[in-house]
Amino acid sequence: MIEGKWYAEGSAASYAARLLLIDDTKYKLQIANGEFYEGTLNSLEIGNRLGNIERKIILEDGSLFTTSNNDEVDKVFKKQLKTNSFIHTLESKYRWVLIALIITILTSFAFFKWGVPWTSKKIAHALPEKTNQLIAVNTLDFLDKVMFDKTTVNAAKMKEIRQHFHSKIVPLSTENKEIVYKLHFRLWGDENLSIPNALALPSGDIILTDKFVELCKTQEEMDAVLLHEMGHVVHRHTLEMVIEGTFVSVAVMMLSGDSNGLADMGVGLGSLLVSSSYSRGHESEADMYAFKHMLMAHIDPKSFSQIMNRMTQYMEKEMEPHKKGKEMKLDTSKDNVLDYLSSHPNTQERIDIANQFSECYNKGLTSCDIKTID
Amino acid sequence: MKALSFEGSGSEYFKIWIVNILLVIITAGLYYPWAKVRNHRYFYGNTTLEGRNFEYHATGKQLFLGFLIAMILFIVYVVISETSPVGGLIIIGILFVAIPWLIWRSLKFSMRMTSYSNVRFGFDGKLGQSYINFLLLPILFLISIYAVPIGASVLIPLLAGGGDIPSWVSIVAPSVAILAIVLAFFMYALIKKRNSSYIINGSRYGQGVFETTLETKIFMKILFKTILLSLLVFGVFFLLVGAIVYSTIGLEAIMELKNNMNDPQSVQQNIGAVMPIIIFVYGGMILAGMLIIAYSMTRQRTYIYENTTLDQKIKFASTLKAKPLAWVMISNFIAVILTLGLAFPWAKVRMARLIVENTLVDTEHGFDAYMTQKQKEESSLGEQIGDAFDVDVGLGF
Repeated sequence: MIEGKWYAEGSAASYAARLLLIDDTKYKLQIANGEFYEGTLNSLEIGNRLGNIERKIILEDGSLFTTSNNDEVDKVFKKQLKTNSFIHTLESKYRWVLIALIITILTSFAFFKWGVPWTSKKIAHALPEKTNQLIAVNTLDFLDKVMFDKTTVNAAKMKEIRQHFHSKIVPLSTENKEIVYKLHFRLWGDENLSIPNALALPSGDIILTDKFVELCKTQEEMDAVLLHEMGHVVHRHTLEMVIEGTFVSVAVMMLSGDSNGLADMGVGLGSLLVSSSYSRGHESEADMYAFKHMLMAHIDPKSFSQIMNRMTQYMEKEMEPHKKGKEMKLDTSKDNVLDYLSSHPNTQERIDIANQFSECYNKGLTSCDIKTID
Repeated sequence: MKALSFEGSGSEYFKIWIVNILLVIITAGLYYPWAKVRNHRYFYGNTTLEGRNFEYHATGKQLFLGFLIAMILFIVYVVISETSPVGGLIIIGILFVAIPWLIWRSLKFSMRMTSYSNVRFGFDGKLGQSYINFLLLPILFLISIYAVPIGASVLIPLLAGGGDIPSWVSIVAPSVAILAIVLAFFMYALIKKRNSSYIINGSRYGQGVFETTLETKIFMKILFKTILLSLLVFGVFFLLVGAIVYSTIGLEAIMELKNNMNDPQSVQQNIGAVMPIIIFVYGGMILAGMLIIAYSMTRQRTYIYENTTLDQKIKFASTLKAKPLAWVMISNFIAVILTLGLAFPWAKVRMARLIVENTLVDTEHGFDAYMTQKQKEESSLGEQIGDAFDVDVGLGF
């Protein structure tokens, strides 16, 4: 016998009621207003159990019997309740909850750590080369409008750099013959500060800023950076970033689906950490690409750390008057918490790896086995 | 007047929550609509008044199609906004125009899917009103904020005409500025009032009609007090920070840090001393912000509930106070962070209990006469898109 309440269809008026089993297949529902129902158990629609909220049983005519005696309903209607009892079993046994917790933590970790980068890489490389052109279309025009000015590097110098790049450096890249590399020279910055940088678009366009060209003391230094940028293009990092970003956004949306503004902040910080970590992975990958090809071309990988150092020093020196004590400089030592927020690997680590490659170079090797940190 | 009661528990919800997450992971996200239904059902079903409970009636199957469409739109949005800045802006523009429609659809769907004591709620608000309240007025509000600085920067040089600024400008300009600030205040209060009125006056319980008569001036008063409180809280907070900084590390250490910015070693030595202060200031700002939000929210809630009736006879009240709300918000926040999210179910149950148990309903007249009204079935699409893009309807007890 199950005690509960009965409601006529769509009515808020409730009456005390009790559900009785006549035999294995038939029930009788007695209502306090004197009415009663009789029928087969199979004609009842038994609601799913969820925690201990009131259980609903819908009768054939749409009227409703509710009861808080969930256990008794589970026992009586065992046959009718197969699929729901599976989820309820998971929810009610601590053993399953613990397993669910462990699986959740492990899979979430593995998903962000390996799943997203791996899948993004697979997708990025499965897409046709045209996709790279597509996502880069208008990018240079856009950057020209908002960031860059016309270069001041003289034409002879540009011609010389281009010639060397196309005759000596581009042939080193044998991975993907479809990529058409093109060098662009631009001025980035204002009258106070000219920024040294090199950046690659997925289409194979590589942009060198005037300050960067000026800071390169040797041909090897420029080659090192060019190879690094080619590494980004060959590994399709821009495309990977787009795909990774999509994965992270969708995961974040599902995570914060039923949370409030405060939890969103935590999720936001988490996704920032995750995407910076992907970005660091890309930088390291481009570094490795550059080092390997430098060995092949007999260029000392040390030039990479030299130019990196010079650019960092230049920026530090130039930024000094602009700082008013507010910004903290990222120091270059290891084990800095701020590293986790940075989109580039720790400079010291990059230089260390460059030096290891340089040792191989000094031994006259054309390949080098390096244990990377990740 | 009787308070609603909440019968859920953190440990029980934890189990439901973790199993939901597990199933969402295993199904690569496809279980999400069913998980959402279980979450909603848990909180609605555990909310009771006089031994009868609320119910959430949507089913996973019903939400699934809307969910898939919303998900595809969301992915398209993310991909476009990551590859093309202009495309991203265009989509945000489209979304902005769609928000009133999304809110309207969401209200219709969510209300229809909610029942108390076997009788469904409903929503009859008009779409046109939604566009006025959630698009037109917010745009006017933004204009009223930006009009003053832009107007001043254009008009003053114009009036000066190359020569001296006429003396009357220095009298008129500040009064215009003050007027504009008052106008912005008024617009904000007006939007709050109209949004609350729109949602409540459009709501139905069976054949019953909710009604509210709110005044803009009360919302202005609450806003004004909130601003005063913010000034006070942040003022005290920064004095406190100043005092702590001065007495612990002293000005010299800060000056030294500032002067030695280009020396990595020195920065590293000193950053240890400054880091706790940065964390303290950041944390303090969040906590102070929560206190202020709690104040503004509870005051508005009390006012709105007091002035709302069902069929002009059943009255409502809210006894939610700023301090307990702020305490639950702050302690929940800390607990969720310290447990890396595992305390989330417990925090959610705690918040639900606080809010539900501070909601009072006049039960003298009873609800037995209410009957569910026939309505055509609502599609869940609008609600699902709103959910995906985090459009906040601001519904709830």
